[in-house]
Amino acid sequence: MKLSKWLLTATLAVAFAGSAWAQQTTLRIFTGGQQRPDVMRKIADEYSKRNPAVKVEIEVGGATSEAQQQYLSTVLSSKDSALDLVLIDVIRPAQWAAQGWAEPLDAYLGADKAKLLPTYLKAYADANQVNGKLMALPYFADSQFLYYRKDLLEKYKRPVPKTWDEMMETAKLIMDGEKSPQLQGFSTAGAPIEGTVCTYLVPLWGAGGEMTKDGKLNLDTPQARQPFQLYGRMKQAGVLPRNIAEIATDRIRIDFQAGNVIFAMTWGYVWNRAENDADSKVKGKVGVAKLPHDVGGSSATCIGGWQVAVSAFSKNKQEAVKFARYLSSPEVSKMQAIMASHIPVFPSVYKDPEVLKANPWFADALPVVESAKSRPVSPQYPQVSDAVRGSMNAYLAGTKTTDAALADMKNKLAPIYK
Amino acid sequence: MSDAAVPKQKDMSEPMLGALLLLPAVLLLLLVVVYPIGTLFWTSLHSVDNANPQAGEQWVGIANYLRAFDDDRFWHATLQTVIYIVVTVPGALVVGLGLALLANQPFRIQWPVRLSLLLPWALPLVFAGLIFRWFFEYQTGIVNDLLARIGVEPLGWLSDPTLATIAICIAIIWKASSFMALMLLAGLQTIPKSLYEAAEVDGASKWQQFVEITLPMLRPSIFVALIFRTITAIQTFDIPYAMTGGGPGDATETLAMYIHKSTLDFLDFGYGSALAALMFLFSMVATSGYLRYTRRSSGRGAEE
Repeated sequence: MKLSKWLLTATLAVAFAGSAWAQQTTLRIFTGGQQRPDVMRKIADEYSKRNPAVKVEIEVGGATSEAQQQYLSTVLSSKDSALDLVLIDVIRPAQWAAQGWAEPLDAYLGADKAKLLPTYLKAYADANQVNGKLMALPYFADSQFLYYRKDLLEKYKRPVPKTWDEMMETAKLIMDGEKSPQLQGFSTAGAPIEGTVCTYLVPLWGAGGEMTKDGKLNLDTPQARQPFQLYGRMKQAGVLPRNIAEIATDRIRIDFQAGNVIFAMTWGYVWNRAENDADSKVKGKVGVAKLPHDVGGSSATCIGGWQVAVSAFSKNKQEAVKFARYLSSPEVSKMQAIMASHIPVFPSVYKDPEVLKANPWFADALPVVESAKSRPVSPQYPQVSDAVRGSMNAYLAGTKTTDAALADMKNKLAPIYK
Repeated sequence: MSDAAVPKQKDMSEPMLGALLLLPAVLLLLLVVVYPIGTLFWTSLHSVDNANPQAGEQWVGIANYLRAFDDDRFWHATLQTVIYIVVTVPGALVVGLGLALLANQPFRIQWPVRLSLLLPWALPLVFAGLIFRWFFEYQTGIVNDLLARIGVEPLGWLSDPTLATIAICIAIIWKASSFMALMLLAGLQTIPKSLYEAAEVDGASKWQQFVEITLPMLRPSIFVALIFRTITAIQTFDIPYAMTGGGPGDATETLAMYIHKSTLDFLDFGYGSALAALMFLFSMVATSGYLRYTRRSSGRGAEE
């Protein structure tokens, strides 16, 4: 008697909760910790204000792109529907398409697709399409820049270097003059992490080389040796930090912000931190420019940035796509630029006066971002990345010669590009 | 339980009843041990093409195993794992035994000693790895700071293959010796005091007491501790993962890390499963070797 009464109450309660849920959609989006989840929270709250029926939960995980992907591989390989949207690295769309993890957006956008795509920077419209299918929408752009110490360059009356050799000379001159044992001439990622792939690619491209050509491996060129030789010379000259093989992305920022780095090759987020962090010793002394290149080559940089993908296993795909389109709109691009100095994916946003007021350097950033190139596109990108960063890291640690590092890289890449 | 049930089951023989009572445990074991291991071996005989998952799983026989034998990285990772085993198993035993003997002394206040024994064991492995990574960090690490104080140039602990291996071994020994010590301490406490008193009366020195009484009486505990340590050493993952990520290059990568990379990063489930199956066999051989040795050499005491 008592039990049946209790059961009835419970059933009613569940039914009630169910009907309340039916009106309310809860979208769950995954983002990495470095992609400013706090800013995304504000953006999502704004979205919920306009769409009261949609609530957004933000799941934060993984400090690095690889750590995030490891977690996501587990979730998505088991076809878990817990996530509706995922923020993915620009290197991932091909893999996500091959694995069937991302819902192709073409059918949802319909005729809008043709209108929408030309509004993005071309590199991002391209990066998110795999075999003609739109796999994700760009959230914010990024690329590597040459950060330099304006004050030190002025003190020694040196121009912003255009070539790698000029940069080395200038760094050496300043290091000799400052006589600080802490001061590093040039810093970049050298640890066995994703960023180290770009440490190899940027000088390769700057010398006019390409890693692949018509889908085939193209590493038998003299340019393929150039990155190793360049860093070898830098190491000999004492321009690189001695622990270069330990340096991961955020360590570059920490060292630069502490005033210990003259030149650094790193991503867009550093400017905001170096200019605004309370403990920054380089406020007002930060310069940003195109990366150096070889004599005869031209400046290139790695494309970065984050895309919104809709999970193929989501149970709220319609709502998820709507939210994704909001996240990938000029309005949100502007919000991010002001709140997090995230680089816009729409050329139009770079000229916005409010954006420029928060980020005066964006005026110079546009041509750099437009010169950004994609890392090799492959559904097996994690293996490609492992081969390149492993060789670069071993070379920087001094455990492999140019020949051995390059041979090792080719061996690991050969089965992928057969 | 109720009396009414007894006559119904009168005809059930004792072995039948035994089997029935064992059934839940057997089913549970089948579900959580045999089934996953079976799946692992099954997957290892297939190619799971990660570039084209729609193609499904193709039967490839032992091709994944042949690929492993031809893979330098597999052999290197295996060798590296063997180095960790050979260094850290005896290393942790010696340090752990020292700690256990120390903790077994009649301290007036026991808890600080026991706590400091427990602490490294209670710490998650990745934490231990991160802490030691900070110790050995080039610019801000305490190790290089100490070296600088005695006038030694800072060393690239984590970017030199030999130094990184040493640093990782130190971290593993620190982490593992406290568990060793706990097991050995339990063993020490079962040794009757009267043996030492008798030895004292006979005029045996402390060292003789240690060699003639402590070590033989402790033997079963030492073997159990060694088996545990060897199995965890074969599976070494967290500490090198947190300290070097396998770098420089692949120099400090262990077998478990390579399996993790093949499976979770490269999504090559077939090959990853083959590697995992090889590690499983490796682990089985090592453990059964130990067990056989214990059974032969000490008839009593080791059954536990």
